[in-house]
Amino acid sequence: MRPILLSGHERALTQIKFNPDGDLLFSTAKDQQICAWFSHNGERLGTYKGHQGAIWTVDVDPTSTMIASGSADNTIRLWEIKTGKCLKTWEFPTAVKRVEFTPDGRRLLGVTEKRMGHLGSIVVLPIELSVDAEQSDERDMTIVCDQSKATVAGWSYLSKYIIAGHEDGSVSQYDGKTGELIDNVPIHELDMAVTDLQWSADRTYFITASKDKTARLMAARDLELLKTYVSDTPLNSACITPKKDYVILGGGQAAMDVTTTAARQGKFEARFYHMIFEDEIGRVRGHFGPLNTVAAAPNGKSYASGGEDGYVRVHHFDKGYFDFKYEVERERENRL
Amino acid sequence: EDAERGATADLAVVEARRRMLDEWLAWRASVDEEVEEERLDLGLPKDPVEGLVETPNDGEEQVIE
Repeated sequence: MRPILLSGHERALTQIKFNPDGDLLFSTAKDQQICAWFSHNGERLGTYKGHQGAIWTVDVDPTSTMIASGSADNTIRLWEIKTGKCLKTWEFPTAVKRVEFTPDGRRLLGVTEKRMGHLGSIVVLPIELSVDAEQSDERDMTIVCDQSKATVAGWSYLSKYIIAGHEDGSVSQYDGKTGELIDNVPIHELDMAVTDLQWSADRTYFITASKDKTARLMAARDLELLKTYVSDTPLNSACITPKKDYVILGGGQAAMDVTTTAARQGKFEARFYHMIFEDEIGRVRGHFGPLNTVAAAPNGKSYASGGEDGYVRVHHFDKGYFDFKYEVERERENRL
Repeated sequence: EDAERGATADLAVVEARRRMLDEWLAWRASVDEEVEEERLDLGLPKDPVEGLVETPNDGEEQVIE
């Protein structure tokens, strides 16, 4: 599984997203530009310039026409993938930490930061999936997070729920149409922030990563805790691999927070766990700093990680990865 | 005796995994059914992107080497 090293960012990576086909990869970093790459060879397709601050988040619409980004410059921007043209800018009072399109691409949510005088919120914007269309300034909905600010959020199957992870380690379920809070579950250790939330292919379940060194697999319909993955380092990101029942966890402590010995132990690895059995099954080394973001290609053929070291590493899985099975998995296959 | 104890432990582990796999597949099946029902009730297409505006140059999105 030889990695392709993508060097185009000058600062720490913040989020990586594959497009639905898995042939393109989008990355954001604190260096104020979004990069688009061909995932099969790591060639850079282009950059999207305009943000005036660190960029925290990016998402691709389901038709691979546009991307949305959120930044410390208090804006969400919408871009045409092919031309790099900025199609729309929405302004907010605070930074935007996460954006995500609905499964049908007709709406976009944005998680806004809490700051003196401003509570954190989740805003929902209507989207016209055409590069020639006029995008609306009006919001569909605003969810104010008056308990603990949301750090991440996303849309479930059928856009039925908005699921959010919070700074206090809890996870919330909101009605996707009305924004009403349905449930809130303290799933991670108290005040250990949820740092990532990523979906299964059908969006019926998701994985959260937390500073409490665990990742959790939860059901979108009732926030049932399905699985727990225990690691030995604070986690920044976690994703579910399509095609194989694995999850990938990324994290690591920032250099200033670790002693030299701990740093030498090399905790800057992507960790693979079996999604169902919860065992750690492998690690991939390579980054020189914490992994800030991991993403799996929707076609199941590769994954990418983005580090505090400014690099993106794309790994195409080899045969061994696909062949690996637990005895009980083989047993069941043979029975079918 | 040690080997025997080891073998029993392995058996317990395998049993536990078998149970986890069964539980998982049962959960998946129940969710699949529920979501499919809800989707039909809402009259939504199987593919959420179906019926969305066709981008004029859709075919060119393919990466050709």
